Amino acid sequence: MKSELVIKDLHVGIEDKEILKGVNLTVRPGTIHAIMGPNGSGKSTLAYTIAGHPGYTVTRGEIWYKGQNILELEPDERAKLGLFLAFQYPVAIPGVTVANFLRAAINAQRAEEGKDPKETAIPMAQFRKELREKMAQLGIDEAFARRYLNEGFSGGEKKRVEILQMAMLRPSMAVMDETDSGLDIDALKVVAQGVNSLAEQNPEMGVLVITHYQRLLNYIKPHFVSVVMDGRVVREGGPELALELEEKGYDFIREEVVRS
Amino acid sequence: MMTNIQQLPALAELSDTLIAETGRAAGEPDWLVERRVAAWRHFVQSEPPFWRRTDLTKFKPEGIVAPLGAQHTAVQWDEQLAAKGVVFTTLAAALRDHEELVRQYLGTAVDPLTHKFSALHAALWQDGVFLYVPKDTALEVPLHAVVTLAGAGFATVPHNLIVLDRGASLTFVEEFVSEDVDGQALALPATELFLGDGASLRYVTIQTWGHGVYQIGAQRAIVGRDASLEWAAVNLGATLQHTEAETSLVGDGSHVNWVAATFGGADQALLTAPWLRHIGARTEGHMDFKTVVKDNAYATFDGMIKIEHESRGTVSRLEEHALHLTPKARSDSIPGLRIDTNDVLRAGHASTSGEVDEEQLFYMRSRGIPRDEAIHMIVMGFFEPVLDRIPSEELRERLGALIEAKI
Repeated sequence: MKSELVIKDLHVGIEDKEILKGVNLTVRPGTIHAIMGPNGSGKSTLAYTIAGHPGYTVTRGEIWYKGQNILELEPDERAKLGLFLAFQYPVAIPGVTVANFLRAAINAQRAEEGKDPKETAIPMAQFRKELREKMAQLGIDEAFARRYLNEGFSGGEKKRVEILQMAMLRPSMAVMDETDSGLDIDALKVVAQGVNSLAEQNPEMGVLVITHYQRLLNYIKPHFVSVVMDGRVVREGGPELALELEEKGYDFIREEVVRS
Repeated sequence: MMTNIQQLPALAELSDTLIAETGRAAGEPDWLVERRVAAWRHFVQSEPPFWRRTDLTKFKPEGIVAPLGAQHTAVQWDEQLAAKGVVFTTLAAALRDHEELVRQYLGTAVDPLTHKFSALHAALWQDGVFLYVPKDTALEVPLHAVVTLAGAGFATVPHNLIVLDRGASLTFVEEFVSEDVDGQALALPATELFLGDGASLRYVTIQTWGHGVYQIGAQRAIVGRDASLEWAAVNLGATLQHTEAETSLVGDGSHVNWVAATFGGADQALLTAPWLRHIGARTEGHMDFKTVVKDNAYATFDGMIKIEHESRGTVSRLEEHALHLTPKARSDSIPGLRIDTNDVLRAGHASTSGEVDEEQLFYMRSRGIPRDEAIHMIVMGFFEPVLDRIPSEELRERLGALIEAKI
């Protein structure tokens, strides 16, 4: 089902401190939408809130996707609806291999109420084949399939495995939280290429790319750019807005906002 | 030979005369009968041990039937092994056929007079296996011994004696297993492991007693020069467990890799007291102990690393981690490190205790995995370093299913 992700007047706080102060944003299917903003502007809070992190409290507003206000759904229900969050800091799960984790995630998403999970589970051979292919495309060594998820991985390895998960889970709406942070230029290119080829293969997929720097947007070309400052979207535009930001820095927008 | 259990006396009716008579009637050598009698007298005369974290007040041993002559040991035997000179039989049978070998080792690793219950063990042991692997003999197939018990009101007192001669290698799996018992039963197991110079042993010990079983156990390994021990313990069963375990790295260059998984649920109280003693030079020990508790369970890790004066160039590392699945469950950790040498290469200790990590849960749920399943995966992953060392697929799956069922 095609659907827009619609965020309306979203207010979010952590422990009484309000971070998002009324965000309005629409991400259309088949588009790449960049969110840019300085540190502390609330970008990551937005990503976590969309995915349903229990540490963030929504005090006002709605997030609509596929006919539901997803704020009423558990994180795993949101994932089943087709949402995916590529983490800025992926979490290590000791003792759980990349392959077993992915298979559990795929099968959880394929599960249907009232049906035997064995019936809906991905056939083992098909899973192995897909995993091998996707790992090769992302330049991930096959040995990673048997390693414990994110345990002892370098920053670049973690980000690649995030994209691998995205490729295997085929979300209809992906949120990428500062996927470029901590990556050198070569790793950045590989990750960006992975996202681009996924977007090509799934032309209906919407992507929300959250980043501090314009650098990533040289490799993942956005259709739309929104700038977030102090918990609000303060500017919207096309890809040229990212270039303008790169040139002038965030201060020029800050001054604009103050003037208006 | 199965003794008619109806005729067995209760512990309260036992005497040194009866123990001596039973031993002689079974054809046991005099030295063993004398040891049993001495141990029985020690049991009768000694005070109950004062254990701060093992509460035996609910245990009523008076009516428990002594296991004189009982046979609860099953030995999987392979004809080809005999041709290699391997001995694998019940300890009782080994006393007849290999008396000198048994006498040389029996009771030299686990001291019968440690406390009241070790004395009771030494007086009454009947079941268990004797396993001897000759010099430079490598066994590819794991050997497996299973000890059971008769049910409520009975005691089982197994003694496993494992001897690896120089350069021998072996995988040995021992299982203590029973159904839940309607009432109380007593298990007093002891296992002694001897690794000759250059020997290599993978030792897997699994405790899956049913509810109602009270276990007071002892295990000790004596590791020779350049010998290597891989020890994996899994403790899932029993109402109460008090297990004192020790690895003595006696020979220079000896090595132990020691992992354990303990999972307590319901009203279980499970205590493990592992001691790692570095005696030889350049010895290396790694301990990784994992505990999960839920409901009203209480688990204790009471461990100690001791590095003796002569143990130069030692490497020793202790990790112990506890995971609490529900708020009422408790775990205590009392790690100790005593160093009597000034030439330690590396010695360290890491310890954590807490609930399931919310960030891990959120990460897994963000991939579509429901909360309960995520907790299952986290617990299984937590135990993975231990389960990974279980040599048989069938056993690993069986233990996995037991753990899954407990979560």
